[in-house]
Amino acid sequence: MPRVKRLQPGSEWNELTTTAADWKAADPALLATMLGQLHLIRAFEETVLELAADGLVHGPAHSSIGQEGGAVGSIVSLRSADAVNGSHRGHHQFLAKSLTHVTKGVLDLGSLVTPEVAEVLQRTLAEILGLAQGYCAGRGGSMHLQWFEAGALGTNAIVGGGVPMAAGNAWAQKHSGTSDVTVTYFGDGAANIGSVLESLNLTAAWELPLCFFIENNGYAVSTTVEEATGEPRLSARALGFGIPAWRVDGMDPLAVHLALERALSRLRAGEGPVVIEALVYRFFHQNGPFPGSAFGYRTKEEEAAWRARDPLERVAAEMTKLGLIDEAGVAAVRAQAVEAMKAAAAALTEQDPDAGPHGPRTGGSRPPYPPGPGVRRIRPSLWPDPAFVDVGIRGDLSEIAGARAVEQPDFRGELTRGKFIDAVARVMDRRMSADERIVVLGEDVHKLNGGTNGATKGLAKKFPGRVLGTPISENAFAGLGGGLALDGRFRPVVEFMYPDFLWVAADQVFNQIGKARHMFGGRNPVPLVLRTKVAMGTGYGSQHSMDPAGIFATSVGWRIMAPSTPYDYVGMMNTALAIEDPVLVLEHVDLYGTEGDIPAGDLDYQIPFGRAAVRRAGRDVTVLTYLSMVSHAAEAIEQTGIDAELIDLRFLDRASLDWETIGESVRKTNAVLIVEQGGLGTSYGGWLADEIQRRFFDWLDQPVQRVTGGEAAPSISKVLERAAIAQTSDVVGGLERVRAAFGGGSSGREAPASRTSGEVRR
Amino acid sequence: MASVVRMPSVLAGASEAAIASWLVAPGDSVAVGQPLAEIETEKALVEYAAEQAGVVGRLVLAAGDTGGIGDPIAVLVADGETDADIDAALGSETPAPAQAPAPTVAAAPAPSGTRSMDHRPPEKAVDGPSTANGQQPTAPERGSRIFASPLVRKIAGERGIDLAAIAGTGPNGRIVRRDLEQFLATQPERVEPEPVQTPAPVQASTPVVAGDRLVPHTPMRRAIARRLTESKATTPHFYMVTECVVDELLELRKRINESSPVKISVNDFVVMAAGAAFRDVPEANVTWTDEGMLEHGSVDISIAVATEGGLVTPVLRGVDGKRLSDVARESQDLARRARERRLRQDELEGGTFSISNLGMYGTLEFSGIINPPQSGLLAVGAARQQPVVTDGAVTVATVMRCTLSIDHRALDGALAARWLAAFTIRLEHPLGTIV
Repeated sequence: MPRVKRLQPGSEWNELTTTAADWKAADPALLATMLGQLHLIRAFEETVLELAADGLVHGPAHSSIGQEGGAVGSIVSLRSADAVNGSHRGHHQFLAKSLTHVTKGVLDLGSLVTPEVAEVLQRTLAEILGLAQGYCAGRGGSMHLQWFEAGALGTNAIVGGGVPMAAGNAWAQKHSGTSDVTVTYFGDGAANIGSVLESLNLTAAWELPLCFFIENNGYAVSTTVEEATGEPRLSARALGFGIPAWRVDGMDPLAVHLALERALSRLRAGEGPVVIEALVYRFFHQNGPFPGSAFGYRTKEEEAAWRARDPLERVAAEMTKLGLIDEAGVAAVRAQAVEAMKAAAAALTEQDPDAGPHGPRTGGSRPPYPPGPGVRRIRPSLWPDPAFVDVGIRGDLSEIAGARAVEQPDFRGELTRGKFIDAVARVMDRRMSADERIVVLGEDVHKLNGGTNGATKGLAKKFPGRVLGTPISENAFAGLGGGLALDGRFRPVVEFMYPDFLWVAADQVFNQIGKARHMFGGRNPVPLVLRTKVAMGTGYGSQHSMDPAGIFATSVGWRIMAPSTPYDYVGMMNTALAIEDPVLVLEHVDLYGTEGDIPAGDLDYQIPFGRAAVRRAGRDVTVLTYLSMVSHAAEAIEQTGIDAELIDLRFLDRASLDWETIGESVRKTNAVLIVEQGGLGTSYGGWLADEIQRRFFDWLDQPVQRVTGGEAAPSISKVLERAAIAQTSDVVGGLERVRAAFGGGSSGREAPASRTSGEVRR
Repeated sequence: MASVVRMPSVLAGASEAAIASWLVAPGDSVAVGQPLAEIETEKALVEYAAEQAGVVGRLVLAAGDTGGIGDPIAVLVADGETDADIDAALGSETPAPAQAPAPTVAAAPAPSGTRSMDHRPPEKAVDGPSTANGQQPTAPERGSRIFASPLVRKIAGERGIDLAAIAGTGPNGRIVRRDLEQFLATQPERVEPEPVQTPAPVQASTPVVAGDRLVPHTPMRRAIARRLTESKATTPHFYMVTECVVDELLELRKRINESSPVKISVNDFVVMAAGAAFRDVPEANVTWTDEGMLEHGSVDISIAVATEGGLVTPVLRGVDGKRLSDVARESQDLARRARERRLRQDELEGGTFSISNLGMYGTLEFSGIINPPQSGLLAVGAARQQPVVTDGAVTVATVMRCTLSIDHRALDGALAARWLAAFTIRLEHPLGTIV
């Protein structure tokens, strides 16, 4: 019989409840502030539900009524420099943080609503209604509330999506030498999602000051915690990662406060993350003004039992017991809160002059009951200008207005021959030396003498603590980079070992990093560089061989740079690190080993932003390509003898593409061939071809032709891989198709059959 | 009774003519045979004499106006006749259908207001901007729509080019840029539809910007445009160049001019040499017609003369039998009268070959467009001294380059080359030609 030794988790897991003594010992000012915040939030949420009932809240309004205790208890003692972010149900967290910020954590119950408090209430309500005066200019609404000054990093509509970003904020706080902390709020549903679990692991490994605050309200929409997990005590998740955890009654704000105080002592001491699980209850359904029992997934009795434990009443009762307030006092607090919200709503809405006896003629979602006289509408002047729709997707590049940009032909410094990969490491070395904000993170970037390809060679030794080898959790470390970027004190350079991992981290890459600037109002930049290498041709098979340019080009917010020479790489990386937008810098393994000119000393120049490079002038067809296909296209042009103009696009995204150079060329040649290496499905050229035919229709003498790889992802087999990716011979085929369309005597040869016809092979 | 004077038919086949100037004014008495007006056609300016006597009652067309052949241009009255009589005389005239050319009617702007002059159903017209004109049913049959690349459509629209006239060689018969370029290369001037058929396409497609001035075309300008466009578009030209050493010629000319009463030009030698070459190679003296190859009995050479109004080509007839001095005299006479616009219509018609000489402008060489229905044109450049290698030794010689344009339907390359070789010998050794 084997010997069995019982093992213990490496961290503690405790439940905290308050006693009468705790209430007695509590600072009366703290209790008063909590009571005031609870009432303000409650009145706020009731107003939101009323407006939703009037059809004035576009989209869902996830009410936090019933859950206020967790947010207020945990936030009331935070500094403004401490940060929070949250989930789709985040009004209460945002309000608690903003109110704490503007009142410095102290509310006077006799005069609850100061002008600053009134402003917070009105602007938050305006944001939820989608109005220009909201914190995010009406873009974010109920689910994307961000106010950096107050330490509100932004609530998030992707379950668990904000947690990696919070980890990034915590990293910045820690490595800026502060004792500030970040609290990330999420629900029981998010306790099972990868980004949360990845972040638990990563923050524990890196001892980041992040508090994982689980608002366990028992239901993920209608699915119970017990249905969704084998360990419904969700704070137990922490033990698997060596993180200490607290379980606490969230309907008891003081209990939450005391748990957080204990957590803060660890967080501020730099000892790593904490998990707090607060048991709370939302009195209503997922969204809207009806109780969950109306939808049949829980009982009225259960709801009544939880309502009896209303955190507002709990605090009022305890304070009354202690003689700190009486019934009339509580009523007065409530009345002030209700009055403040009436004023906030009145400032944003007005009597609808078009409303007949059967309600408004236009606008809003359909109210649940027929509104009578007194129907409200949004004050029309408060809507955002529709022209604002795309403003602030990305920055205006004013940050590089005076930059020194030098193309290689104009470069006067000394050039040495060197490998492309050395340029990659050298420019990063140079930038990290010059800019202490730069942090490199990715898998194995700190070891193997510069990662798997040598792209970070020498950096880990030279810049200790700034080259971070990550666990294999792309969602967590990409999102952590995003959080760093949003914070702004550091410049993250994230490496994906293979481009295909973008799918693993897709939420962070596209929903968070790409959209964050625009979604939260267009003002807060996200300066992040994501490096990855296209590895087609290396035999890494179907899941490691994509060209991600097409996916990024069709995803809003990202800029894309694809240098094809070491000189360009240096300048474009400098550009990428200088601008305030997320930039994908594409590399290619085929280029790593190629030799080219690298400046010997001057590694500080930029490549002129948004300028393509004409690698060969020609009259007959404009060949648009990038990265390793530039040299393949050049070979093909030589082979065919067609007088093609070869344009190395370099800047690939919609906003940065060099339309001037492309247009000039198309007007000259009247024919276009877009050349890329990767598969047809996620290819880059589709949107580009569309844009070209619309911009230059009258200049085209034939359809925009394309060369891509096959339909399927490249296989491991060398032969099949070569067949799947576009080669020089495919470009020759593409050029011959262009030539065939010249007509006249020029189509002497039949274009070889190839997939460049765009047809899918069966 | 008042009599109507009508636009005379000066040139056979012409449908219209213009009043260049009136030589009489209302109230003037005119006798039979007295010149009434100068009538300008595409080719000539002629005086039109009164065919009956009377007093000029009214000038219907003003100087510069164009009218159809047979249209009233003036009214002669007898004593005592009034405006009412004039009106009656004009009003009683119902123009015969033949006198009101159908194209004028057909080319009226489409009532729909669309730019297209397309007579096809509108839903098909949107397929292409082609202006398949009803008066030119020569468009190759291509089905209901013409496939042309966006670029081609744009250029064709801007320049008023009828895509139906162009053969598409791109995929699926698409007209592509190179087809259009080839088409345009055969059009020395912008393609301009005949005035009666398309009233104002040029104005529509070529905006006159500030500082520019739109000068209305003279009939001669239009004739040049139309005939050369037609030639380049329908005559398959090919070209060959010869270099003639003309030292001997120049020396001979110098000696002749020392004693000749009429001054002999280099061009006169060229005309003589061409005539002689046709005598040497008579099978080259032919014209292609649809019915058969027309072999000419004489060599009638059109001499290109630049005038203020444009290019005119009076014909020097029977060159192969003429003396050099006759050629010189007649050439000078024709050129002078051409500049004075005093050529008769018959002097402009019927050449079998053309010579165009720009040597006096220093033009080194050029190639010309054949003057239809002729089958050849010789373009003569300047005589210049240049090094010439003869038997391995470099010498200085005076060399003149001549470019022969040939209608390939009538002559093949070898035949043309034989003619050109004969011409070269004749020019280099002119003595044999003139005696």
